[in-house]
Amino acid sequence: MLTKEEVLHVAHLARIEVTDEEIEKYQKDLKILLDEVDKIRSIEDFDDDKMFSPTDNQYDLKRESVIVDKEQILSNVPKKMGNFVEVPVMINE
Amino acid sequence: MSKYLSLSLQEIHELLKNKKITPKDLVMECFDNIEKSNLNAFINVYKDYALSEASKLEELEVDDDLLFGIPIAIKDNIMVKDMKCTCASKMLDNFVSIYDAGCIDEIKRHHMIIVGKTNMDEFAMGSTSETSYYGAPHNPWNYDKVSGGSSGGSAVAVSSGIIPLALGSDTGGSVRQPSSFTGIVGMKPTYGRVSRYGLVAFASSLDQVGVMSRNVYENALLLKAISKEDKRDLTSFETNDDITCLINKPLTNFKVAIPKYFISDIVDKEIRDKILEIKTMLETNHVTVDFVDIKYIDKTAILYQIIAMGEASSNLARFDGIKYGYSYLNPKDLEDLYKKTRRYGFGSEVKRRIMVGSYLLSGENAKIYYNKALQIRDDLSKEFQKVFDNYNLIIGPTTARCAYNLNTNLDDPLKSFMDDILVMHANMGGFPSLSMPVGFNSEHLPIGLQIIGNRMDEKTIYQLASFIEKEIKDDFSEVRNGI
Repeated sequence: MLTKEEVLHVAHLARIEVTDEEIEKYQKDLKILLDEVDKIRSIEDFDDDKMFSPTDNQYDLKRESVIVDKEQILSNVPKKMGNFVEVPVMINE
Repeated sequence: MSKYLSLSLQEIHELLKNKKITPKDLVMECFDNIEKSNLNAFINVYKDYALSEASKLEELEVDDDLLFGIPIAIKDNIMVKDMKCTCASKMLDNFVSIYDAGCIDEIKRHHMIIVGKTNMDEFAMGSTSETSYYGAPHNPWNYDKVSGGSSGGSAVAVSSGIIPLALGSDTGGSVRQPSSFTGIVGMKPTYGRVSRYGLVAFASSLDQVGVMSRNVYENALLLKAISKEDKRDLTSFETNDDITCLINKPLTNFKVAIPKYFISDIVDKEIRDKILEIKTMLETNHVTVDFVDIKYIDKTAILYQIIAMGEASSNLARFDGIKYGYSYLNPKDLEDLYKKTRRYGFGSEVKRRIMVGSYLLSGENAKIYYNKALQIRDDLSKEFQKVFDNYNLIIGPTTARCAYNLNTNLDDPLKSFMDDILVMHANMGGFPSLSMPVGFNSEHLPIGLQIIGNRMDEKTIYQLASFIEKEIKDDFSEVRNGI
């Protein structure tokens, strides 16, 4: 079992609110998953090479620009004011 | 009722070319199938759009492309302009795509007709499609059984005969495992063969768009159509090879490896026996089949969990309630908006994985877990490469058991990872891998054979698959008439 504080810490990292009831469930569930991934510590590795991506093609970092219409972008925004995306106030008066 | 869609693509093409039928007839039949089906394969369908596209095609001359005018279903995590893209999540219930994915550009260029978006596990996280916000699809072979996942809706749509072709996505088996559970052919291509532009990211270094079909040849045709380098996906590459060129060609000097782990007692006996039957059949046809040991093969689930959950936690950080998707009303402040939006917008499997992923990537943990996983991933990939130095292909079962009852162990956090225990290796190394039906278990549920090839070598996979398809006497089309 994870402690309540550990669950709250992980939930904060993930920016997910959890209820008291959920905390109890996560104490068990996250423990099962974390115990599983912890087994990696005991696997002996062959060398220090890492595989970040399966492709070994040389990336062309000159990206083709993608131009999207402002109106289209705004069409999926939950809250907007005119042509702007509305966010909650972050600075106190 | 007409049954043009149950014909082969070659037969449909002849009818279109000779003007015996029009694309509109195919679309009408497809929607007739959708309306009669109770399998919950689709999340949203677009009849008016499909009919209008079919009308446009009537003004064009039917070319030699067998895909011309063929209806297709698209997994709901692939962007199709002006259609919803929900990822089976409340978070994106109202999200409408404003552009086409790279693979959709190719689908449209081939004049295929998109009829709708298919059901799936939420954000592709799961192995039964039961984590969908819209309820689970049902397996056409048995209504009470799972379809597999995460591309469960696409698998059900093809296997039940609603439509001949569908696109899915495969991060750790999500095309091949549901294909195996529903008795169809599913291919996860080499990482980079198909553009990921417009595929909603789950674990970027593992994700790949895959193709699902009723038979091997049609599978290869569809994959060939969507294979293309895309400047908008820096990991995609140019492919000029004809992946259909070895279909039905003889297997000369052919060598196949079966990893011992793939027929160990983690796999149901009925499935093991079926794979051994295939082995015998191949040997009778002068194919060399050897059992091999592959180091790290039994450790892949651990690597997968670390890499997939880590990358998912980063990719899904974009769902913040501000730019698009669900947004919690009246938050106290910005932090509250993030936390409540994600609490109410995501389902439990997704939240669990994001939480573990965030933990695995935080501070020093990234070194202990993620970096170590990338190291072992490299080692595992080299081990597979060694096998490909001596053998054309690797074969084994796609799944350790056949489709099981809906609502089984829904609460088990490890369930979906264990369901994919035989199919994750191909994602780790970026190898192409196909699942095809090769028989039934005692409950008359399909058994899938997996064929893994070296990178870029889809054509040899299709060569062996087309050979086995001809040898298999079972009929996997019987549920297609049940609509």
